[in-house]
Amino acid sequence: MDRRTQWLRGVLDLCVLGALARGESYGYEIAQRLEAGGLGAIAGGTLYPALLRLERLGLVSIDWRAGSGGPARKYYRLSDEGAATLRSAGADWAVFVGNVNAIMEVP
Amino acid sequence: MKKTLIVAEMALREISRRRGVLILLALLPLAFYFSRRSEAYWQSVRFVSLGIGWTLSTAALFAGNAARGIEPRLRLSGYATHQLYLGRLLALWAIGAALSTPYFLLIRFDLDAVRYSGIALILLLTVVVAAPLGLAVAAVLPRELEGMLVLLTVVAMQMMLNPDKATAHVLPFWFTREIGEYAVTPGAGTDHVLRGLIHAAVTLGIVVAVGASAATVRLRRRRHVSIA
Amino acid sequence: MTVDDWLAALSAELRRRQVDPSGPVGEAAAHLRDSGQSPLSVFGPPAAYALAVVDSLRGATRELRRLPSGEPRLRATKITKRYGRSTVLNGVNLSVHAGEVVAMIGANGCGKSTMLRICAGLTSPDSGHVQMRGTVGFCPQTGGTAEFLTPDEHFMLVGAGRGATRTAARAEGRTAAAALDWPGAAGDAEARHLSGGTRQKLNLVLSQLGDPDVLLLDEPYQGFDNGTYLDFWQQVWHWRDAGKAIVVVTHLLNELDRVDTVLDLTPRSPR
Repeated sequence: MDRRTQWLRGVLDLCVLGALARGESYGYEIAQRLEAGGLGAIAGGTLYPALLRLERLGLVSIDWRAGSGGPARKYYRLSDEGAATLRSAGADWAVFVGNVNAIMEVP
Repeated sequence: MKKTLIVAEMALREISRRRGVLILLALLPLAFYFSRRSEAYWQSVRFVSLGIGWTLSTAALFAGNAARGIEPRLRLSGYATHQLYLGRLLALWAIGAALSTPYFLLIRFDLDAVRYSGIALILLLTVVVAAPLGLAVAAVLPRELEGMLVLLTVVAMQMMLNPDKATAHVLPFWFTREIGEYAVTPGAGTDHVLRGLIHAAVTLGIVVAVGASAATVRLRRRRHVSIA
Repeated sequence: MTVDDWLAALSAELRRRQVDPSGPVGEAAAHLRDSGQSPLSVFGPPAAYALAVVDSLRGATRELRRLPSGEPRLRATKITKRYGRSTVLNGVNLSVHAGEVVAMIGANGCGKSTMLRICAGLTSPDSGHVQMRGTVGFCPQTGGTAEFLTPDEHFMLVGAGRGATRTAARAEGRTAAAALDWPGAAGDAEARHLSGGTRQKLNLVLSQLGDPDVLLLDEPYQGFDNGTYLDFWQQVWHWRDAGKAIVVVTHLLNELDRVDTVLDLTPRSPR
């Protein structure tokens, strides 16, 4: 497994929360937001289990909505807990990245 | 050897936790000894060795029966049957040796005009034979009550039968009387010792064969299983 | 593989694991429609994706486990056993692969324990054959322990059989005990002083020492409180994920929907 994939495994759920902070969304659109953000293509096989975990942990709330002229779509929204987790975990992540950079002496 | 030793160590730990057994092992031969102390010397010696023989073989009976529950699991975990048998036997011999040493010292300081080498030999052979005897009874009679009755009968007959009778030779501890002749009777020849040693050796061979083969059969690797 | 085939396979896999497929399948269908990509490139094989979904739903953070495959670790063929006039087992077959859990059920006296003992090699059948690939651990319904030894001493004794050092065996035993909600195994007294349920925990821990490939468990949860009973089944799934072949004799039917195979030994006709 290459290094980038390993890094992504650690933060994917936080990135998903971050993507939802910009507004509610459904699976495919979330994947597009992440890709647009520079994370590369996220496989559905990775994304949807992550969304299920977030749902189980109560960090996102869901809503099935009838799509335009098609079957229902599952929409995800950041819950209060999710927002709080994103803030605190985001802060932790910033500290962590800062330390890693210092050790690697990356300017 | 390492596996045999750990079986022996655990068997020792088990026995050391059975306080009742230990007390009996320690004191019953003492009672036997003093019951005959006032009469003839040699009765004392004979009775104390029978006391040791009886309590040690009973301890072996209980140890052997208690092991039945865990032995199949130990086999599955990789022990060979001979390691299980030998380990338990070594532990019982160690206990027997520890037990008889104070008794030897007691006789050493309490009685004179006896041959201490003979006494030592009697106690040693009693320990050597009593442990596998108990294990053999445990192997053949899986319930402890029947096993205890058998051992009780053996010891009682040992005490009551005239040792010159042919039937007395069949009893496992007959050699104590024979070697006792050498130990307590001044002027007795070493042919007694020889006869006693032969009897002890034959008895040992029989009880070990019975105990070991019963264990081998009970814990055998079954033919219907093939392991890849 | 067409999209419809893939979605149908996913649905079947989820249903097999007692998961309602409508949510995940609907979402996957929507995603595939939006992206226009092939299901295999987006989600991978349906069975693997189903597993990931199930794990996410159930809370396991484990890697995708290998599916049962290949040669069985335990194969019992045509096992027959008679006691006197009655035939307890009549030509019973049993096959267990690595990563598979088999529940053996049946009424009392129908030979479940006997069958397990025959598979473990502790009893001989009248006819039939057992093939075992790997090491085996066996947990009887009761017993299997030494009254006057402490749990630590049990661990060392049984562990030494497989060549483990004392420290390693003790550590392994204590860890396994903690997984069954028995954290105090280290300081505990001789087996005879333990409660019935705790003694059975010891029994179960001993059967798994040395990490055997095949586990044969005869209703090992006697005396367990409800919490430990659930912990026990969690352990069983954990062992399955680790690739062990497990047979559990049980007459409690709640867990049957999560095992891979159920072998019912109840005789079809009166003996």
